[in-house]
Parts: sequence; C-alpha cells; structure tokens
Amino acid sequence: MGILRFLLRRLLFAVVLILGVSAIIFFLLNAIGNPIDVMMADNPGITDEALAAVKAYYHLDASVGYRYLIWLGNMAQLDFGTSISTNMPVGGMLLTWGAETLKLQIPAILLALLLSIGFATIAAMRQYSRTDFTVMSAALLGHSLPGFLLGVLLILIFAYWLGVFPSYGAYSTRNPLFGSTLADGLWHMVLPLTMLTVFNTATLTLLLRGNLVDVLRQDFIMAARASGLPERRVVFHHALRNAIIPVLTYLGILFGLMLATAPVTESVFTWPGAGALYLAAIQALDYPVIMGETMVVTVMLVGFTLLTDLAYVVIDPRIRLN
Amino acid sequence: MLIAFIVLVALIGPFLAPYAPNDQSAMIEFASRGGPTWAHPFGTDRNGYDVLTRVIYGAPTALAVGLGAMLVASLTGILIGGVAGYLGGIADEILMRLTDLFLVIPVFVMILAVVRLFGIVVVGTWLERVPFLNLATIVLLLGFFGWPPIARLSRAEFLRLKGLDFVEAARCIGAQPSDILLRHILPNAMPSLAVVIALGIGGAILAESMISFLGFGDPKAVSWGQLLFFNYQVLKVAPWAVLAPGTAIFITVLGFNLLADGLSDAFNPRLKQ
Repeated sequence: MGILRFLLRRLLFAVVLILGVSAIIFFLLNAIGNPIDVMMADNPGITDEALAAVKAYYHLDASVGYRYLIWLGNMAQLDFGTSISTNMPVGGMLLTWGAETLKLQIPAILLALLLSIGFATIAAMRQYSRTDFTVMSAALLGHSLPGFLLGVLLILIFAYWLGVFPSYGAYSTRNPLFGSTLADGLWHMVLPLTMLTVFNTATLTLLLRGNLVDVLRQDFIMAARASGLPERRVVFHHALRNAIIPVLTYLGILFGLMLATAPVTESVFTWPGAGALYLAAIQALDYPVIMGETMVVTVMLVGFTLLTDLAYVVIDPRIRLN
Repeated sequence: MLIAFIVLVALIGPFLAPYAPNDQSAMIEFASRGGPTWAHPFGTDRNGYDVLTRVIYGAPTALAVGLGAMLVASLTGILIGGVAGYLGGIADEILMRLTDLFLVIPVFVMILAVVRLFGIVVVGTWLERVPFLNLATIVLLLGFFGWPPIARLSRAEFLRLKGLDFVEAARCIGAQPSDILLRHILPNAMPSLAVVIALGIGGAILAESMISFLGFGDPKAVSWGQLLFFNYQVLKVAPWAVLAPGTAIFITVLGFNLLADGLSDAFNPRLKQ
C-alpha cells in the first residue's frame, strides 16, 4: 500500500512537471514571435493570401493559449506533427536520429560506470598513496577538460595525424571499412565513444572514490574486517554496495541528459544523431522538430529522475517512503 | 592561481596584445592559417586574425559571461531559496516546486533555440543597435535558468541557520526580518554558497563556449567559443587556431573547479581538526 501510493504520487508530480515545462517552452518560443512571422522575416517573398492560408491551416491566427492546447493534445497522442523542412513525420525522424545518439550514449555511460568502479576502488583502497593521487588527479583533469575539446584532440591525433580512425560520420559514404557494415559502424564509434566515456568516467570516479572513502571508515566495515573476511570481499561486497547508492542520482541525470548533451558531441564528430537533427531544425526554423525534441528531452529527464527515486526505494531500505 | 592568471590577462591583456583584435592584415599578406612564428606566436587563423591576440581578448568576454550569468542566478536563487527556507510552510512548498520545475527544463537546447529565434526577430528594431545583444541574451538566459541549484542550497542553509541561537537572539532584540535575513543569516550561508557559485561561473563560461562553438554565439564579440567555431573546419591545416582557445577554456574551467574545491575544503570544519 505504501509503495503504491508513493509511486502514484511521484508519477502524478512527474506529469505536472512535464506539463509545466511544456508550457514554459511553448510560451517562451512563441513570446519571441509568431512562428510564421519569424519564418517570414528570415525568408520574405510570400503573398498575403498565401500567408493567410498558411496561418489558417496551421491555426497560427488563433490565440497562443488555444494553440498551446492543440499542441498539447497532439503531443499527448504522440503526434509530433510534420517537419517543415523534410515533410516527414517528426516522431519517425526523432526515432531514427535518436537511435544513432543512443547507440553512442548508452554504451558510453555503462562503460564509464564499469571503469569508474575499478578506478575508484583502486584509489580508495590505497587512500593518500601515490596511486590514489594519480587516479584522482587524472579524474579531476578529465572532469575539467570539456568533452568537446577532448573530441577535437582525439580527431586531431587519431584521425588527422595517425590516420587510424575516421574523423566524422557514423558510416562510410561509399565502401565500408574492412568490407563489413558492422565493423565499419563500430570503427566510426571508437572516437566519439572514447570522448563520452572519458568525461563520464572521470566524474563518476571522483564521486565514487569520495563515497567509498567515507564508507570504508564506518563501523560495519570494521566489523566485516574483524570477522575475518578477505579485504576484497569487504570492499566489493560491503563497501561498494553502499558507496554506489549516492551515485545513482548522477547516473540518472546522465541517462536523462543523453539527448540534451548530443548537439555538441554530434557537431564535433558530424554524427547523424538527434543533436545534429536539433541543430539543423533550429537553423531551418523547423518548429515541429524543435518543440518535439525539446519535449522528448524533458520527458527523458523527468522519467529518469523518477526511475532514480524508485531505485532508491527498492535498493536502500533506510529511505522512508515519505 | 589559474584564476588570478586569467583575471590578469583579462585586465592587462589588451595592452600587451601584439595586434588589434580586428586586425586581419595577415589576410592581405597571404599569411592566414599560418603556423606559429615570432610575429604570431600562436599562428594566425582562417580569417587572418592573430590567434594570441584573439585569445587574450577572449578572456574579458569569458569572465563577463561567467560573472554576469552567476550574478543573475545567485540573486534569483538566494532570494527564492532564502525566502522559502526562512518563511517555510506554504510559501516554501510553492517556491520549491517551482525550483523542481526549473530544474528539469532542458536549458542548453532551449537557449540555442531562443538565441536563434530572437536573433531574427530583433532585425530592424531598436534592439539591434544594443551592443553585444546576442551575448547579453546568452548571459541572461544562463542566469535565468541557472538559479535552481543555488535556490535549493540557500533554502537548506537558511532553514538550518534560522533555528540557531544567534538568529533567535537577533530576533529577541527586535531586529527587522529583512535585517535578520540580510545581515545575520546571509553572511553565514555565504561559505557554502560560494562553492556552488564558483562552480557555476566555470559552468557558465563552458556553456557559452559550447553555444558559440555550435554557431549561435555573438558574431560581434571576441570569445573563445567563437574562435573554435570559425576555425574548427580548418582543424587539419591550422590546429593552433583551435588548440589555443581550447586550452584557454580548459584552464579557466579547471581554475574555477579548483577554486570551488579549495573553498569547500577551507570552509569544511571537519578538515580543520
């Protein structure tokens, strides 16, 4: 009963959040100017009659509030509308391009989690040693080096100077490398995946190591050690389990922001993903795509935050449902 | 240290810079995209600018963006968080739910769209004549959407401090609520807020450089992100024009991260023992 009510309340709040953000996005973008006027200013040369017809067709002559309600109704039915520049359904476009983004982001986050567990454990087990210092300095550097600069460095070194990896795109335009489409795709993923993984690993290592050091000082660890358990079992079985709980929040944010951070990554590597789609849509003033993708980004962020909250309740019995 | 260096460059740099920021003379001498020489220590870029000069002139821009955005964000955040924490009850509930709402707005993608649309609308109006309008828009938006973390922390601090004896004492001698808030609670909340604000300055500088790198920056302003944007396409032939501003961004962000780290250590009583 308790968990069900908690779940329901959280879900309700998530819906309210999404509605709130949708209103802010819609009214902010429309406050700048009526979409048709903005597009006209950028591309004049249309007769008044044609303008009126377009306005009527898209309900752009109606009030902002009315337009918001129509848009919200369509969104609720997962109808994202039709792209102005490609004339294709926006929902389908987001799926195709979004898949390319997730193909990079999901492995990068999972890989970073594994690597950071390794690094943080090594550092925390030898606190204040030279190993610890090296790992932590590297992590702080990696955390401060903006991802897109690392991407630029990777391209310069591995694509231009050494010529090992391709510098742009997700696939070769003509002949796939190594004669196989799969290998070609994977080879193209190496540099962008490295860039994302390094940044995520650095941040996760910083967080995890701090938590581990705290946990390792607590009484129950001493009890576990006193009972004669091997150190490895103490660290991995008892300490790590507790240290990883606070990291969940950050993991949730990483997953939630997968699409939001994509524009920069994909512009460095000319990657055909959701971020590139969004940038192109802004340039082309493709309102349905802009609004649709912003909403998907918001829903993902709220959704993963909700999942994180639920995960806490399931994993950590100390957290009370209120 | 790093920050002192950046501030120093921002302050006296313009007097030391070897060329004027808008000097494209290298273009005339067929020396654009030239490698580092004695005349141009960091080389020249594809527009014929001296890279060192542009990087130096980027420092005040970066600091203005970071400080400006965080000024807006801190004022809003401390006001909202402070009021919520001090008053409690229904005001707290409403303000904190508002914070939750602003926390899930996809800020970065929103700013890109707003900057682009706004840039079209202002053409032909008096706003067009405002200097560095695009940059100001970015700074305001970064501040306007950047306050929720500060509000959350302010609320927690004000909530903790308002129950302490010295605040009670101030109230007993009849201090005004505004006096208690501004002169008694706020100064004591500042240490932990300073850490978040320092991180935020670095974050805002990074955000502006990414927005500019994507091509939505202020074409009239000299910023590191702009340099990256203009020269990224010639990375293969003129890597110095990308690496120099990139290093500047890295040093600045690292500097503010280290500052935040140092501040949090300095204010942490547990570490002093």
